[in-house]
Amino acid sequence: MSAGSGRRFAGPSALNWSGLIRRLVPLAMAAFAVVYLVAAWNIPLDPWSAAETVNARALPLVYGVGLLAVSIALIAVAPPRQDARRGARWSVLGAHCVVIAAFGLLIPYAGLWTATALLLLAGLLIAGERRLAVLVIAPLGTAAVAWFLIAVVLGIYVDPGVWFD
Amino acid sequence: MWEGITAGLATALDPGNLAWVVAGCLAGTLIGMLPGLGPITAIALMIPVSYSLDPAAGMIMMAGVYYGAVFGGSTSSILINAPGVASTVATSFDGYPMARQGQAGRALALAAYASFAGGVVGAVALLLFASTLAALATAFQSPEYTLILVFALSSIAAFADRGQVLRSLAAALVGLMLGTVGTDQSAGVQRFTFGRLDLTDGLSFVLVAMATFALAEAFRMVLAGDEDAAPTRFAHARLHPGDAAAVAPAVGRSSILGFLVGVLPGAGATLASFFAYDLQRRFRRDDAADGARGIAAPESANNAACTGSFVPLLTLGIPGSGTTAVLLGVMLSYGVQPGPRLLEAEPAMFWGVIVSMFIGNVVLLALNLPLIPYISRIVYLRRRVLVPFVIVFSLLGVYLTSLNSFDIFLMLAFALAGLALRLGGFPLAPLLLGFILSGMLEENLRRTVLLADGSWAFLLDRPVSMVLVVLCVLVWVGPLKRLLARRRDAGEP
Repeated sequence: MSAGSGRRFAGPSALNWSGLIRRLVPLAMAAFAVVYLVAAWNIPLDPWSAAETVNARALPLVYGVGLLAVSIALIAVAPPRQDARRGARWSVLGAHCVVIAAFGLLIPYAGLWTATALLLLAGLLIAGERRLAVLVIAPLGTAAVAWFLIAVVLGIYVDPGVWFD
Repeated sequence: MWEGITAGLATALDPGNLAWVVAGCLAGTLIGMLPGLGPITAIALMIPVSYSLDPAAGMIMMAGVYYGAVFGGSTSSILINAPGVASTVATSFDGYPMARQGQAGRALALAAYASFAGGVVGAVALLLFASTLAALATAFQSPEYTLILVFALSSIAAFADRGQVLRSLAAALVGLMLGTVGTDQSAGVQRFTFGRLDLTDGLSFVLVAMATFALAEAFRMVLAGDEDAAPTRFAHARLHPGDAAAVAPAVGRSSILGFLVGVLPGAGATLASFFAYDLQRRFRRDDAADGARGIAAPESANNAACTGSFVPLLTLGIPGSGTTAVLLGVMLSYGVQPGPRLLEAEPAMFWGVIVSMFIGNVVLLALNLPLIPYISRIVYLRRRVLVPFVIVFSLLGVYLTSLNSFDIFLMLAFALAGLALRLGGFPLAPLLLGFILSGMLEENLRRTVLLADGSWAFLLDRPVSMVLVVLCVLVWVGPLKRLLARRRDAGEP
């Protein structure tokens, strides 16, 4: 709700590249607003809806114009550019993103529980965990407990995946 | 009324019903702790159990499940910044930073005590004013709801920190825009779905909340290479000396506010918790207890609002939220018709449910306090273990609500966007609030303008609307004055 609260847990001030991002984000927001406005303008309306004061297009257009205006104001007042800090762990973040995308691709084939165990194993390895006990017990235990809670206790059916069907 | 209360006390203290209160609170807490599973899911999952009970016992158990799930949601909000329920988003604002500072036990204890106080205040108010408030709630119609929602969004800017007004507004607008994705409820046309069937139902709250809070926070920790939390041998569920006195006024205010907002059909615990948090910020003293108040205010408000939402349900037969709509379905399946005649037709159930709310709150406190030292140890896990777990739980929470792997990719994209917004200094809470309120705002505005035959005169036609318009204008006075003062200062040599 408040800016302060967001800043507290986000902690971007601790990262030196925030100056660069502070300039880029309003630009990206303005681009998003333009794309959104074009899509809003193309929302199909039947003749009855078109005659209404508040139709399916009305509020999206208001929001789009509002965001564009605020983004331009933010671009105008954005702080000067600062160099990105070296040593930011972008490669580690990238590895996590690749693993998450692989998780999404794997679910239809390996099923949720196998994919979950593999996701956790890969995540732990990327994060730097090397203790064998943790690498074995955490993924298998988590997948087993999740399966027991969701499938057995709560009775929710989850597709086992093409490979195990 | 006293005869009814006595009858209700007898019903609630029946050993069988007491056992169901305990079972309901426990089940609700455990389900609510799981990211992505909120009160609606918890109640829906317990429906088969309720069918085996008589109506009074079934409703008493369901009320316990409702409370338990709301409290359980605050646990994941505080410990891993993963609010699986909209009503506990505000709790994470100050709860999560406190947990990261090694005070997870204190944060959870504050949440537990504040929830208890809010629940008790709500139950007393329900006991005394149920019928009066039900009549008052009917005075709130679409125009008033529209203006309440505009007021909630306006307050984002009004209560934003210095220099953050524009960023808060931008985040709120992005949230409102995300809320328009999907099938338009009135005309039935597709908006911003780009031909994808996966988007026809719109974006789910769980997806947006998990992506922008839990997953984006995990990414931030990865990027920044956060140090492990300071190791603590045992996290006590104790408050700091002076905490109780410091948070008492905030809890009192928020409980009353939460109950009143909860009474309004459609408003519910989410708005109550946001309003309470904002109100608390207006009363902040910039002392060491501000964080404690920031947890206590939304927690007491959302629990009081849960109780308040029973007013329109029991006395008018109107479900004020998705959760109470499911409860209404449970009541109807018992052959019980809630409404003005419920009090005469089923006095034992009516008063039994209300009295059991007191007992439910005591049970909730008794169940949760001893568990806090153990639950709170999660934040002392090493980052290299905690981060993968947060990623897995947030993804599981989202996938299990839709069973659609497209949501995984959408969540990844939203989390990266959320990370960029965080690094750019944008607060994400206004984004989430805008997203939550977007559908309600559009629906009520459309209905209002339609009923007014395309006219905007409703803004000034009704007394309550006029008051709300004035409030909306007033909340902008502060930020505008600050802005003008800054410009004047900047212009001076």
